[in-house]
Amino acid sequence: MADFLWKSYFKRTTEEKKISAILKENILFADLSSKQLKFVTNIVHLRKYRTGEVIFCQGEVGVGMYIIASGHVNITVEETRTDKNKSPHGIIITKLVSGDFFGELSLVEENGRRSATAVAEEDTSLIGFFKPDLLEILERRPGIGVKIALHLGEVIGRRLKETTDRVSILEEQLTLLQSESST
Amino acid sequence: MKSLTRERLIKSFAVVGILMLCTVVVFKAENILVSFVLGFVIYYLLAPVVNAIERTGVSRRIGVTGLFILITVVAGFGIYILLPATAGQLSAFKNELPKFIEGTTNLLAISEQKLNSFLFNMYKIDISKSLGGTLIIFFKGLFDNLPNIISSSLAVIILAPFFAFFMLLDGQAVSKKLLALVPNNFFELALNLQYRINVQLGDFIRARLLEAGIVGFCVWLGLATVGFPYAVLLAVFAGLSNLIPYIGPVAGAIPAVLIALVNSVPGLEFLIVIAIYIVAQLIDNFLIIPLVVAKIVNLHPVTVVIVIIIGAQIGGILGMIISIPVACILKLTTTTVYSHLVEFHG
Repeated sequence: MADFLWKSYFKRTTEEKKISAILKENILFADLSSKQLKFVTNIVHLRKYRTGEVIFCQGEVGVGMYIIASGHVNITVEETRTDKNKSPHGIIITKLVSGDFFGELSLVEENGRRSATAVAEEDTSLIGFFKPDLLEILERRPGIGVKIALHLGEVIGRRLKETTDRVSILEEQLTLLQSESST
Repeated sequence: MKSLTRERLIKSFAVVGILMLCTVVVFKAENILVSFVLGFVIYYLLAPVVNAIERTGVSRRIGVTGLFILITVVAGFGIYILLPATAGQLSAFKNELPKFIEGTTNLLAISEQKLNSFLFNMYKIDISKSLGGTLIIFFKGLFDNLPNIISSSLAVIILAPFFAFFMLLDGQAVSKKLLALVPNNFFELALNLQYRINVQLGDFIRARLLEAGIVGFCVWLGLATVGFPYAVLLAVFAGLSNLIPYIGPVAGAIPAVLIALVNSVPGLEFLIVIAIYIVAQLIDNFLIIPLVVAKIVNLHPVTVVIVIIIGAQIGGILGMIISIPVACILKLTTTTVYSHLVEFHG
C-alpha cells in the first residue's frame, strides 16, 4: 500500500518538482512564475533513454526540443570521411550535459528536418517540449505561450548570430588562405 | 540492445492492448458506443469554449464545472419551454399519421396504375397495398414504444455529458499518460499524429454540426413563416439528415413533400415548400461549405452509399447518421498515418 502511494502520488510530486526546477533553469521558461511553471510541467513529457539509444535521427521530421534532465547526449552528423571523433552514428559535433537543450528549431519550423542525430551517451532523462505542446499553451494560456515564444526567438536569433560570426571568420580565413596561395 | 528491443515491444503491446481493450468495451457494452460518440461530439463542441474561459485566467476545473452547470440550467429551461410545443406537434402527428399513410399509399397506387399502363401491364407492379400495412405496423410500434425508447435513451443522455465532462477536464492528462507508454522511437510520430487527428476531428465535427444547425434553422424559419404544419419536427429531421452527405438533403425534404401532397396543398404553397428546402441547400452549398466545411475531409459518393448501407445494417437510422463521421475519421486517420509515416522518415 505504502509502495503504491509512493509510486502514484509522492513519486509523481517529486518528479514534477524536479521537472519544474529544471524548466526554471532553462532560458525558455526562466520568466515564468511558479504557477505558470506548474502548468507547463503538466504539459511537457519526461522521457528516459538507455545508453546508446537514438533520440532522433538526422533527416527525420522534427517535432520539438529536448532538455537534458540527467545524463549526457552526443550530437552527431553523418560524414563519409574518417575522423577521430567518429561514433557509430557519425561524427560527434558536440556533447551536451544536464541542463542543455537541443532541437529547438523544430518548435517553429513546418516539417523541418533534423540537421543532426542525437544519441544518449549514458542512461539519460530528457524533458520533451514539442510543437503541439507550445500550440496548446498558446491556445489555453497565451500569456505563458508568448513568454516562451519570445525567449525561443531570442535563442534562435542568438544561434543565428553565432553561425553568422563563424561563417565570417571562415570567410576571412579562406580569403587569407587564397591570398597566401596566390603570392 | 536486446533489452531495449524487448522494452520497446512491451511498450508497443501495452499501447495497442489498451486501445484494443477500450475499443472492445465501447463496442460490446450496451449504450457505451453511442454515449462515447456523443460524449466526443460534446467534447469537441465545448473544447474551444473551455479554452476561451481558461484564457481569461479561470482554472480549467472551475471553467468546465461552471459551463456544465450553465448548460444544464439553459437546457432545462429550453426543454421546459419547447417540450409542450414539440409534444403537441408529435401528438398531432400521431393522430394524423393514418391519414398520411393512406394518402401516401393512394399516391403510390396512382403512380403504380400509371406505370403499369405505361408498361402495358407486362410487369405487374403492386407495392402500395403491402407498403400501407407495413407503414401502419412500423409507426404504431414506434409510437407505442416511444416511452421505452426515451427511457433507454436516458442512460445515453446521462452518460454522454458525463464522458464529455471528464474528457474536457482530464483528457489531456489521460492522452499524456497513454503517450508515455509509446516507445521512444515512435514517440514524436505518435504525439504529432494525435495532435493532427485531434485538430482535424474537432474541425470536422464542429463544421458538420454547424452546417446541420444552419440548414435546420433555415428550414424551420421558412416553414414557420408560411405556416406549414410540424415546422419544428421537419426542421430537426432536415438538420439531422443533412449529416448524411448527398442522400441526406433529399431525404430531409421527403416528409415535407409527402405532407404537402397528402394535404393536397395548393400548387403555389407546394412550390414554396420545395423552394424553402432548395434555398436551405443553396445557403449550405454556397455559403457554409466554402467557408467552413471546405477544409474538412470528404468522401466519394460511391463510398458514402456503401458506408450508409453498412451503417444501416449495423445500427439502423442511428448507424446511418454515425456511419459517415466514423468513415471520415477512419479515412482521416489512415491518410494522416500514411502520409506522416512516409514524410516522417524522409
